[in-house]
Amino acid sequence: MSTIEILINYRAAFLNGLAVTLQMASIIWSLGIVFGTALALLATRYRIEVGRPVRAFSFILGGIPMLVFLFWLHYPAQAMFDVVIDPFLTATFTFTLVNIFGVCDLVRAALDEFPAQYITAAKVSGLTRRQTIFKIQLPLIWRHVLPGLLFLQVAMLHTTLFASLISVEEIFRISQRINSQIFRPVEIYTALGIFFLAVSLPVNGLALFLKRKYGRNLSER
Amino acid sequence: MIVAKNIHKHFDGRHILNNVNLTVEPGKITCLIGPSGTGKTTLLRALSLLECPEHGSVEIDGCKYAFPLKHPKEIVPPWPDLTVVFQSLFLWPHLTLRENILLPARNRKHGDLHAELEEIIDFFDMRPFIDNYPNEASLGQRQRVALARAFMLKPKYILLDEITSSLDVEQVAKILTRLKEMRDRGIGIFIITHLLGFARNTADHVAFMSEGAIVENGTSEILVNPKSHRLKQFLSIIQDAS
Repeated sequence: MSTIEILINYRAAFLNGLAVTLQMASIIWSLGIVFGTALALLATRYRIEVGRPVRAFSFILGGIPMLVFLFWLHYPAQAMFDVVIDPFLTATFTFTLVNIFGVCDLVRAALDEFPAQYITAAKVSGLTRRQTIFKIQLPLIWRHVLPGLLFLQVAMLHTTLFASLISVEEIFRISQRINSQIFRPVEIYTALGIFFLAVSLPVNGLALFLKRKYGRNLSER
Repeated sequence: MIVAKNIHKHFDGRHILNNVNLTVEPGKITCLIGPSGTGKTTLLRALSLLECPEHGSVEIDGCKYAFPLKHPKEIVPPWPDLTVVFQSLFLWPHLTLRENILLPARNRKHGDLHAELEEIIDFFDMRPFIDNYPNEASLGQRQRVALARAFMLKPKYILLDEITSSLDVEQVAKILTRLKEMRDRGIGIFIITHLLGFARNTADHVAFMSEGAIVENGTSEILVNPKSHRLKQFLSIIQDAS
């Protein structure tokens, strides 16, 4: 059975798995970007009360392999509190948390490194606070953060594969199950690669488009 | 009128500004000269309320700020009626040079913005590069844009920090002409400069600063007949160098 035949014969199963993957990824992306940005703003504004704990947690999180963190939340943590949580929710929560702190690190660094002289120029030119934020700070921060942010979101999409290890019926687990029935690993994992390419390429294309549009080199001669 | 009295500022146990008194009057050009690293830019920042001195007071058109301020938020921003052009220019890099000029100017409530922009573009010969981004322009071109941005704000006071350092003689002459025009319209101009010829010929008031203090001030006559030893030394070094 060729890759094409596998894609045709098992398209319903693949599409179901892909739907779960995309559902998970869209939650991870949207919550990660919204809460990560908000957390970065808070961490920059309240450096001691919010900034320090955020930095400490981010540091600890960065030192734990994601799979260990996922397993810990799925098995020991649930056993400790005597609860059973849907693996989809556990995996989504875990990856969203990682994404929130990843986005927070990127935005916080951009805020910290924002050149104060541009704000001074805005002040003496009589721009309002609102104009300074929306016309000067946000566009420059957006350009600074954009490449890293998009790279992180593609990486988070690929990370959703780990959810299969705690029985989430996402596309990788579906592929494994099909493989256990027909044992055609080369064709099946090629098909999986095609699915991921189909999702990743538009995201990468968007990244490239935005990078070209907004990521112009701003350094002076 | 901008009146600075007994301004003090320390940094790392060193006096950056030491009991500085200075006045910038409307319709007058005040030149501040002195060697590098003597606190000229710090004084400019204090006059524009971008940096608070530790002691002393700054009064802008009757609005007095006595330092240290009890509540730092009590400063009523004097900008853009008082505006500054910095030595490093600080053009916003994501906007074209035209947008750099127009963005703050749009906040003005009267006047034909676009006609004035066209006039200023021609005045500074900026037409060939006005739609470029700052990193696509030379330093001299960026300096002209930074000045145009400030001029378009129609300020009451304009504070300039060595803004002619990268311009050719022709451009310097044009800018100085423009400054004289602005003075004649009643705008108070404070300029940190190394152009002693300009200070001598055009300034209404000249102050010489050394080691954080105003050592000598008066009319441009002080550049011809200096009284203090330090100013004599400074002028003779410059004369030797040129």
